[in-house]
Amino acid sequence: MKPPHQAAAARGFRFAATAAVCLLYALPFAVLLLLAVSGPAGPSLRLRNFAEAARASRMGRAVFNSALIAVCSVSLLVAAASMAAYVIARFPTRPVRIFFALLLGSMMIPGIVNTVPLYAMLVGLRGINTYWAMIVVCATNALPFAVFLYAGFVKAVPREIEEAATIDGCSPFAAFRRVVFPTLAPVTASVLILNGIGIWNNYGQAVFFLQARDMKTAPLAVSMFFQQYGARWNLVAAAAVIALAPAVLVFLACQASFVKGISAGAVKG
Amino acid sequence: MTAKRANIAKTPYPMLVPAALLFGMFFAYPLLRGIGLSLTDWDGIGTARFVGLDNFLEFFGDRRALRDVSNTVLFALGSAPGLVLAGLALALLIDRPSRFFRAARTVIYLPAIASPLVMGYVWYFLLQPGRGLIARAGRSAFGPSFAFDWLSGDSSALVLLVAVNVWQYAGMTMVIFLAGLQAVPQEMYEAARLDGAGAWTCFRKITLPFLIPSMKVNVVTNIIGSLSVFDVVMGLTEGGPGYATETLSIYIMRKCFGSFTGYSTAVAVVLFLIILVPTAVYLRAVRSSEFER
Repeated sequence: MKPPHQAAAARGFRFAATAAVCLLYALPFAVLLLLAVSGPAGPSLRLRNFAEAARASRMGRAVFNSALIAVCSVSLLVAAASMAAYVIARFPTRPVRIFFALLLGSMMIPGIVNTVPLYAMLVGLRGINTYWAMIVVCATNALPFAVFLYAGFVKAVPREIEEAATIDGCSPFAAFRRVVFPTLAPVTASVLILNGIGIWNNYGQAVFFLQARDMKTAPLAVSMFFQQYGARWNLVAAAAVIALAPAVLVFLACQASFVKGISAGAVKG
Repeated sequence: MTAKRANIAKTPYPMLVPAALLFGMFFAYPLLRGIGLSLTDWDGIGTARFVGLDNFLEFFGDRRALRDVSNTVLFALGSAPGLVLAGLALALLIDRPSRFFRAARTVIYLPAIASPLVMGYVWYFLLQPGRGLIARAGRSAFGPSFAFDWLSGDSSALVLLVAVNVWQYAGMTMVIFLAGLQAVPQEMYEAARLDGAGAWTCFRKITLPFLIPSMKVNVVTNIIGSLSVFDVVMGLTEGGPGYATETLSIYIMRKCFGSFTGYSTAVAVVLFLIILVPTAVYLRAVRSSEFER
């Protein structure tokens, strides 16, 4: 047993170290916020920076594009991944197992390796500067991990509840949709939030596939604005705040399911 | 036997179709086609001509390309262990059930959900040589001779990139380690302490073994993530000064837009092999150590 004064010192150290780390983490965000409301000469409270930056960087359109792409991608992702995971967990025939193994293996291949051939293919399909191409590419990128998460949870759902439905004459699809899918709500929530934010922030693919001015997403708009208005830091910061805010707010509002999703993947991994 | 046959008969394969289509069309097909394209001189518009291994020979004869390989590998050598160790240290630090430490978890995780490109710009504002906030604050504190110009030095810029990347994603590895820590039965600590075990012994004999699954996830994802780094570099240095911090992923993009499509797919194949080797070696090592126990 430690003497009490030593335990108190350890506790004090833990608090102090944590506070120092938090400062290191909060500082860049604080500087960004301060900068976003500063005038050209220095600190002030210029809220019209946001309006000015939004107009000059065409951030309204970019936020709309990002939101549309994120919402459509995650909807497609949830539908495709949950159904596939159901088949994988409940009907592990040989072809199904091979498909799952391929999906898991593909997690080892980062997006950039595949981006150039994908770009070449989408040029041929006239998919460059379209929503659909970015939507299916983002959904495909997130697919393996989402299937992996869903499959783990489906295995934990007792078979009896859907067997009852199947005996009542439900097709496997109907049993899945009416009985199994609702019980997967926690996974669905983490897939929606985790991937929604990831797709919102996507830059690596967007820079290839979305080149037209009207198709730029929020990160691309900040990047273009930074290159044009690099010297006017307060406006760049205001644009950056607009681009970051949706992801940060969604994260703060849904933290619980966010952390649950990440940890579920980790513990099983 | 009959039960198994019945099971096979009603496998609802149509439910696999959306996932299989996405995976086949937008992952597997381009991947295979990319390997094919890497053997051609395709410029992205005209017709592709088969050139054998010429792209690869060109790559290994190109100084800039070889420099990018060393930049990528050096970056990952700093960033992947840095992220695992920082995440582990942070998880051990804040694994306490109080509101203060929960709030700390949120703050430390925040950059991991913020766009790495945009956070790269923010760090550029702080670290910029001469005009950056740190340089200006340093000058007013230590006089005009204070020059903080790490971003304009070749190796110091790479060091800053590693540091910013670790800052950006340590929260991610931390959360995964925190999940691993939940699995440790607290009674084991009490029993060990009654037996007179110190803090270090407890950590080595109890905590660490329970962290093996989360360690595995963190090592693999950070090897892959660090070797394919793109956004943070584009935000902070854009590969500069010169090509001093250009990574292979950025080289791939620039060559693709420079109409060297066939060549850039060859670079992507090289990057894939660079990622595959350490990942496979690590997974093999972990697997064999599991058999030993």
